[in-house]
Amino acid sequence: MVDEQDHLLPIANVGRIMKQILPPRAKISKEAKETMQECASEFISFVTGEASDKCQKENRKTVNGDDICWALSALGFDDYAEAILRYLHKYREFERERANQNKVGGSQDKDEASNCKCIQAGKQSVIPPPLECRVIEKGNSSLTRPS
Amino acid sequence: MRQAGMYSGILNGGMSGRTGPHLLPLARIKKIMKRSGEDVKMISGEAPIIFSKACELFIEELTQRSWKVTLQGKRRTLHKEDVASAVIATDVFDFLVNVVSESGANSEDTPVVMER
Repeated sequence: MVDEQDHLLPIANVGRIMKQILPPRAKISKEAKETMQECASEFISFVTGEASDKCQKENRKTVNGDDICWALSALGFDDYAEAILRYLHKYREFERERANQNKVGGSQDKDEASNCKCIQAGKQSVIPPPLECRVIEKGNSSLTRPS
Repeated sequence: MRQAGMYSGILNGGMSGRTGPHLLPLARIKKIMKRSGEDVKMISGEAPIIFSKACELFIEELTQRSWKVTLQGKRRTLHKEDVASAVIATDVFDFLVNVVSESGANSEDTPVVMER
């Protein structure tokens, strides 16, 4: 059973995303969520495949964020590509600032130091650093709508 | 302040360290990416993070299109057939045609043609 689910995103997460875009009174059948799970996995594979091909052609071993953006555009998801590119730059900026904070000295913030796990591994177990962050708002209505 | 919204989206979904970074689990995304081909050997740390956002957008779009089909059927419950119809009606989702067919969805219904 675990193997079956391994190639899919968790249904709870998928369902949550679906729910937040629909009107409050909307209902979603379980099968629709399952179908969406499969579609999402296929989407990831599809885009990754394209990004990976590009890397191969350019003799690069690592698929990075720019490759994903490029692949999104190449496959017709231009709207996503734009939004993702902005997201990527914000993320990189965030990471740079975090890295700078650590270099300057973590004495101000011991939490920061102890939570500085390697982002490179895709793991994020850090608490928000004391940057001038935007207010964390309840609810993820933070998505740029492709229009 | 759309950019701010997106940024706080990173932090909010993001670095709480408790529920996991984002709306979607990065490790799982990475696993799915690796399965996409033998050539996919190394994946940068930011790639799954980017994908978590891209998947969100994707799921949102497909859900919205599916919901339009649901409404046209004067229903309030989104069914997998609605997803199938939305896929068939949208060019950029051509790669999903087999996925929704395997789900057993009927493509007998007249697809609603939507522009993208």
